[in-house]
Amino acid sequence: MSLLTTTAVPAPAAARPAPRGTRRTEPIYYLFLLPSLVLFTLAIPVPAIVGIFFSFTNSVGIGDWDFVGLTNYAVAFTDPAILRSYLFTFGFSLVTVVLVNVVAFLLAVGLTSRIRLKVGLRAVFVIPMVVSGIIIAYVFNFLFSNSLPAAGQAVGIPFLETSLLANPDLAWLAIVVVTAWQAVPGTLLIYIAGLLAIPGDVYEAAEIDGATRSQRLARITLPLMAGYVVINVILGFKNFLNAYDIIVGLTNGGPGTATRSIAMTIITGFNGGDYAYQMANATIFFVVTVLIAFLQLSVTRGRNSL
Amino acid sequence: MSEEPRRALRGISGALGLALVSSLLAGCGSGDGAEPVRFTFSKREAIPYMTQVVADYNASQDDVRVELDTSGVDVVSASFVRGNPPDLMLANYNMEVARFVDRCTLSDLGDTAAAARIRPDLQPLMDQYGTCDGRTSALPYSVMAASVIYDKAVFAEHDLEVPQTWSELLEVADTLEAAGVTPFYGTFKDDWTVAQGWFDYAVGGQVDTLDFFHRLDAEGADVGPRSDVSFEKDFSRPLEQMTQLAQYTNDDAASRGYGDGNLAFAQGQAAMYLQGPWAFSEIAKTAPDLDLGTFPLPMTEDPADLKVRVNVDLAAIVPEGSRHQEAARDFLEYLYRPEIIEAYNESQLGYTPTTDAPPPSDPRLAGMTEYYDEGRVYQGASVLVPKTIPVMAYTQGIAFGADVDATMRTLDTDWARLARRQ
Repeated sequence: MSLLTTTAVPAPAAARPAPRGTRRTEPIYYLFLLPSLVLFTLAIPVPAIVGIFFSFTNSVGIGDWDFVGLTNYAVAFTDPAILRSYLFTFGFSLVTVVLVNVVAFLLAVGLTSRIRLKVGLRAVFVIPMVVSGIIIAYVFNFLFSNSLPAAGQAVGIPFLETSLLANPDLAWLAIVVVTAWQAVPGTLLIYIAGLLAIPGDVYEAAEIDGATRSQRLARITLPLMAGYVVINVILGFKNFLNAYDIIVGLTNGGPGTATRSIAMTIITGFNGGDYAYQMANATIFFVVTVLIAFLQLSVTRGRNSL
Repeated sequence: MSEEPRRALRGISGALGLALVSSLLAGCGSGDGAEPVRFTFSKREAIPYMTQVVADYNASQDDVRVELDTSGVDVVSASFVRGNPPDLMLANYNMEVARFVDRCTLSDLGDTAAAARIRPDLQPLMDQYGTCDGRTSALPYSVMAASVIYDKAVFAEHDLEVPQTWSELLEVADTLEAAGVTPFYGTFKDDWTVAQGWFDYAVGGQVDTLDFFHRLDAEGADVGPRSDVSFEKDFSRPLEQMTQLAQYTNDDAASRGYGDGNLAFAQGQAAMYLQGPWAFSEIAKTAPDLDLGTFPLPMTEDPADLKVRVNVDLAAIVPEGSRHQEAARDFLEYLYRPEIIEAYNESQLGYTPTTDAPPPSDPRLAGMTEYYDEGRVYQGASVLVPKTIPVMAYTQGIAFGADVDATMRTLDTDWARLARRQ
């Protein structure tokens, strides 16, 4: 500890020498930064760099290893299992982000208009957000495997009689529904905040000018909400790319390997003794998400000023 | 003004440093002078038994003090990576342990008295998970045999004999179905149950897995449509038979899991169940008096091909990184004392791997004992494929109707790709 304090503290001070001691920064501020800085460095950049380093080796996590250059990357790019997990994850994220935002937006418009039980309803819709993903997944797992087929049998709808989770072509839909169910509240809250921030006199003016209800929604609400939509889409998409817990609880990647997400594929490297290879996969995933983040930022920088 | 924060800083760092040093010192002091041995064991059902064994051993002498660590497989793996492995492990012997064997990170147990008592015909099974030249890296402690579990009362009611051939098996299934009884209870929702029961029994019942994987290893990166041995060539036939059998399951097999299966089977909803002896205690929770038996799944027309699936449920391991080699070996010999190892296996329905041990007396296992005694056993194909290949998910896909040949071709290319990489 004493080593860290002696090296870490003076370093930033030396990098930016105070001009003639007049506006010298209080050293105590650096002390405030220190715990977070140490924890952040130890928890994120250091493991990431170690992981990237090992992606160029043939390590299995223990024992001796050798450098293998770009072999892991070359193989990963042609590995159908990895490619399929990317295809699934991106497709799933796109569909979910659209569904979540449409549902949350409509709900937000409803919950900010003059209706009864507004506050109570808002509380009800936010409940899914506070339940952990794995619990939601297990509850829905039971519903899909037992309740829904039983209901289907009772009413005589053959489509529902077999579990959605056991259908390789449709299991992803179940994951979309459950993920959306959990993700809607967070998105909803941001939309409600946005809607409440739109001043009422804009609507009054539009009403006086004879704008209909749908015109007001399309011409006033939507443009004024564009910034919030962008935020929700970016945050949502980023979260859905990391999909893990809900899939584990619902299908565990099945049936077969139909619903394996990228994160699940990477995790297999730890318990499957394929550490270096999946580290290469994780590095690729990291680069891909960074690229997406930059793309979204550059696109939205213009859009935000709407 | 600036003096005060600096003094505070020095005070804080000093206090932290002191805390760190004192915690390190506390780790070193072991107190009474007995050599500590960290012993990991995480088979949940047997922890009470093992706790008692450890307590008895500690009470019997003063030189070694065994500490039981039940924190589980992942923690143990991580401790190897950190260079601080346990001193003695009693662990499930599988592909996860194989990497420790292959990289020679486990010490040689060949010179122990326990090693001399192990049945020699089990060694090829141990070697399937990798070898380190000239070393006995692990000793089997408990062998589990698994095959078809059947409800004796249902069989008697319909005048059925235990089938010895594939056609007899189909006859039994047809008879049961005609009488309105579900022949097999399927729990395809949990992919491991498909792999462990359906896939492994179907393959092991007619393919020599020992030989198959030897030849597959030799082919390595060349495994594919043109190689002499491949999953597609050797497994397609048994798996076609497996899909044929899967027709005889409950209609909702695709949405039933292991827990559902145990309950349903205990309630008499099916006549046969492709599970291991671990399911007995679960079934007994609902139906303690159910009269159950076991028989190997017949896959050919020759009764001589009948074999049971075994796995080394527990193996004893002393990692090379342990600093208490002698003490660990002393406790290892204690664990292998006939009265301890035999009582353990008797209570857990396992077979004791020593040459002189009697089989477990539980009547539900009687149908498998003759095969185990004669060495007519195989290890499941699903656990012999490296874990990085999602073979369990593939077998589940087949149970759900995926094309057998296409799935086996995927398995072939996965195998070849892995061989090219490692």
